[in-house]
Amino acid sequence: MRDPDLKALTGLCAKCGTCRTVCTLYPERKAEIAVARGKVALVDAALSGEDPDAASIQEALTDCLLCGRCERACPNQVLVEEIVMKGRADLAEEIGIPAWKSVLFGKVMASPAATEAARMAAAAAERLLLAKVPTRSGLHYRFPEGIGGGRTVPELPAKGFIRSLRKREAVSGETMLFVGCVFDHVFPRVGRAAYETVKASGKTVAVFRDAACCGLPAMVSGDRRSASACVEENIRRLRAADPGEIVFPCGSCLLMFRRNVFSLIPRANPLYEDAVFVADRSVDYASFILSSGAVDRLPDPPEGERVGEIGYHDPCHLSGTLGKGPQARELLSRAVGDAFGEMAGADRCCGYGGTFNARDYPTSSRIGENKVSAAARGGTKVVSTACSGCILQMRDMAARVDPSVRVVHIAELVQYAFSGEREGARRR
Amino acid sequence: MHPEALSALGNLLGDRLRSSLETRICYSYDATGNRFLPDAVAFPVDAEEVRQVVLLANRHRFPVVPRGAGSGFSGGSLPVRGGVVLSTERMDRIVAIDPVNLYAVVEPGVVTENLKEAARKAGLFYPPDPASLKFSTIGGNIAECAGGMCAVKYGVTRDYVLGLEAVLGTGETVRTGVTTAKGVVGYDLTRLLVGSEGTLGIVTRATLRLVPLPQAAATLLALFPGNRASVCAVNAIVAARITPSAMELMDRTAIDCVQAAAPVALPEGTGSALLLEVDGTVESVARETDLLEETCRAGGALAVRRASDAPGRDELWKLRRSISPALRRIAPVKLNEDIVVPRSRLADMFEFLAELAERRRVRIVNFGHAGDGNIHVNILISGTDADETRRAEGAVEEVFRRTVEMGGTISGEHGVGISKAPFLEMEVGPLGGISKAPFLEMEVGPLGVSVMKRLKGCFDPNGILNPGKIFLDEAAVRG
Ligand SMILES: Cc1cc2nc3c(=O)[nH]c(=O)nc-3n(C[C@H](O)[C@H](O)[C@H](O)COP(=O)(O)OP(=O)(O)OC[C@H]3O[C@@H](n4cnc5c(N)ncnc54)[C@H](O)[C@@H]3O)c2cc1C
Ligand code: SF4
Ligand code: SF4
Ligand code: SF4
Repeated sequence: MRDPDLKALTGLCAKCGTCRTVCTLYPERKAEIAVARGKVALVDAALSGEDPDAASIQEALTDCLLCGRCERACPNQVLVEEIVMKGRADLAEEIGIPAWKSVLFGKVMASPAATEAARMAAAAAERLLLAKVPTRSGLHYRFPEGIGGGRTVPELPAKGFIRSLRKREAVSGETMLFVGCVFDHVFPRVGRAAYETVKASGKTVAVFRDAACCGLPAMVSGDRRSASACVEENIRRLRAADPGEIVFPCGSCLLMFRRNVFSLIPRANPLYEDAVFVADRSVDYASFILSSGAVDRLPDPPEGERVGEIGYHDPCHLSGTLGKGPQARELLSRAVGDAFGEMAGADRCCGYGGTFNARDYPTSSRIGENKVSAAARGGTKVVSTACSGCILQMRDMAARVDPSVRVVHIAELVQYAFSGEREGARRR
Repeated sequence: MHPEALSALGNLLGDRLRSSLETRICYSYDATGNRFLPDAVAFPVDAEEVRQVVLLANRHRFPVVPRGAGSGFSGGSLPVRGGVVLSTERMDRIVAIDPVNLYAVVEPGVVTENLKEAARKAGLFYPPDPASLKFSTIGGNIAECAGGMCAVKYGVTRDYVLGLEAVLGTGETVRTGVTTAKGVVGYDLTRLLVGSEGTLGIVTRATLRLVPLPQAAATLLALFPGNRASVCAVNAIVAARITPSAMELMDRTAIDCVQAAAPVALPEGTGSALLLEVDGTVESVARETDLLEETCRAGGALAVRRASDAPGRDELWKLRRSISPALRRIAPVKLNEDIVVPRSRLADMFEFLAELAERRRVRIVNFGHAGDGNIHVNILISGTDADETRRAEGAVEEVFRRTVEMGGTISGEHGVGISKAPFLEMEVGPLGGISKAPFLEMEVGPLGVSVMKRLKGCFDPNGILNPGKIFLDEAAVRG
């Protein structure tokens, strides 16, 4: 390992062990190597030339959901996610990307030159039932080995959300919607719901049509070059569009634009100012609906019926890292009234962890099953949330543990509220 | 370690023996920040496996170092002579909670907070609460006789251990103690094992005393102009015949350290803080909270904050719990001591510490369990300036001498372990060439040390268990 920044980051760890209490993975692994303290120690050892096996460190760093719980609990504010991601990137340079990912890697998106990689990616994508999704989409990172393996696969719709937009719809506007590839290609209904309800603000709304992947899947996999390419392309285009605000229905995409972008585009980068511009204008879906006035147009929610049947799952990045949990709850209370109730274990990670799910599906699903069954036991019938990964995961888990549990995006509930079609939210 | 020994262990434990460098690195440290690589890490699931490991250790002569969460402050779980780190992480079942006879039976790897929570659900209370309670284990607590915030009212871990099952250094399993409220048959082996730092036996099961759960509790944070004012307030509280369940003092530097993790508004001139807690019936808590606030204000408190609901109390406690790790942000090396003096001498001790810091030109941060007279004296150094290190070492020695002179003890809860043992300097670089071990004799006398060593010989004749701890010169096996 070489990255000089890493030493300064790992040096802050006091080895106190506080991170053990919150780690999503620790209860599954019951070994120090799973928790932040162990990972930090490994990176440290590698940096000081102690020479642990690079592939094994890579393995240890990959075995992490990047849920950020350790970082938030750490009394020293050790930047664990940054250490893990930088470490992965460093090792990817040193020894390449883990074999299980290498088929599809990197170049898929932003480097048109990498035709060979793209061709291979496309070939694999077909195998993955993702043939309909453009190879530049981040989805390909998420299912590098195929969707199978016992997963309940979302049926891919004939048309993505953006393709279904009429030509004159949403080309320019003061507000820009960044749909994200999952809500574009896999759950276009969410894309549509977000779009319609954001429009209820009365502002002119444009859908960001030529979005590259937000870059998160590449970044967390250690492929910083592809991630940078995605991010730079997005920043340039968004800056040029000069929006008043950019709305993100997906918490993971938002994290990329609000925070991770600066690890890829540091101060010295000529795009830095543009990245700041974009970050400053990037908002989560719930905050936008609350602050834009759209919320005031919502009809009053019905009272008293089905109290507490709709829950909210906190996406790690959105609620934890970005602190947007309260906004989502406020919006839900306005949209569905008493039907919203705090769900059991709301802030527990769903176990998806982006590429973690692809890497270790059995563990990912054990964590997810526990999550969904706890919610169901607590009386939650509809789990709502605001992150594409969480929706993918929890739909799959609901199908395993309790198919009667529905998993929706909060935008869908808001849309139902607007249309007066409340029943739909629960029955469908 | 001999390859034959490793393969015998592998046959015994299968994939629960790990000897990859990565796993060994992950079990090479504890909260002291020092590091020693073990030769392998074992993850037994029950007492029988622990016993088998120790039997193998006797056959092949390798050290066995028990480890809970590795949150110790005296290096107790560090494999200083190599060998096998025996992690109790997979022995984490709460076997029983008996609400009639008021006890719990647990495996050693149970995290303290989990036991407290399970007891709470049964309307019961397991009082010991080290600041590390959310991650430290019962086994580690017993081996260090961990104290905590509420020791002033409820006592320390020792006071709650009714009985133990432990594997001795010979591989024999002993059962000690009782499950009744009383018991006086023979020597008290339970007490001997408590605080023995993993050098006499490996605890494989513990029977712990529970008490009824107090109905209510409230927390106060009082800010004072200086340490002396805080200490006077503590004494005034005791004189007012209130027994708070916690009386924690933090000096100004300690408060400043945690502002990022747990921000509090500080009035002008704040020089120290007292965190107080009372528990009992709803009425007594309300009355005592008022009385505490009054006493603090009369004692010159600049501000008092109160919280009686769980989240509010948690927020105040976070301030205290974050201190120790947060010191890392100011200085890379801390000499972390936990002396105790009689409460009546606390103010003098603080005065001495302030004078010492100035005279020796070192930075000292003080916080701790004021109610018990237990101060965590942390001397912060860069670790790279030889002169500064020497001055710091000298300061520690002075602190210890003064403590013993005042009728106190050099470690209230962290134990002896290896902290700052001379060989640390040799193996991990210049950290400060002193150890608590030479002071051990200063406190218990040569005969005391000699009796302790003879006891060690009875429990662990081959020196298998945690060699190199407590006694520096002890002959022991090497991995
Ligand atoms: C932030 C922080 C705050 C702390 N606050 C306090 C505090 O308020 N009060 C306090 O007393 N301590 C405190 N400590 C120190 C530490 O948490 C305690 O000493 C704790 O008891 C250690 O438990 P552990 O499970 O981490 O044990 P480890 O550190 O793993 O081991 C400690 C010792 O116990 C032995 N051991 C572990 N398991 C067994 C077993 N089953 N049988 C025999 N021996 C065993 C080990 O060999 C070692 O000698 C704090 C530590 C931190 C990091
Ligand atoms: S909580 Fe932070 S300082 Fe403590 S061990 Fe974990 S990463 Fe290190
Ligand atoms: S990011 Fe989550 S899974 Fe990874 S080490 Fe931290 S708490 Fe554990
Ligand atoms: S984080 Fe957002 S843009 Fe990126 S892959 Fe996921 S849904 Fe697509």
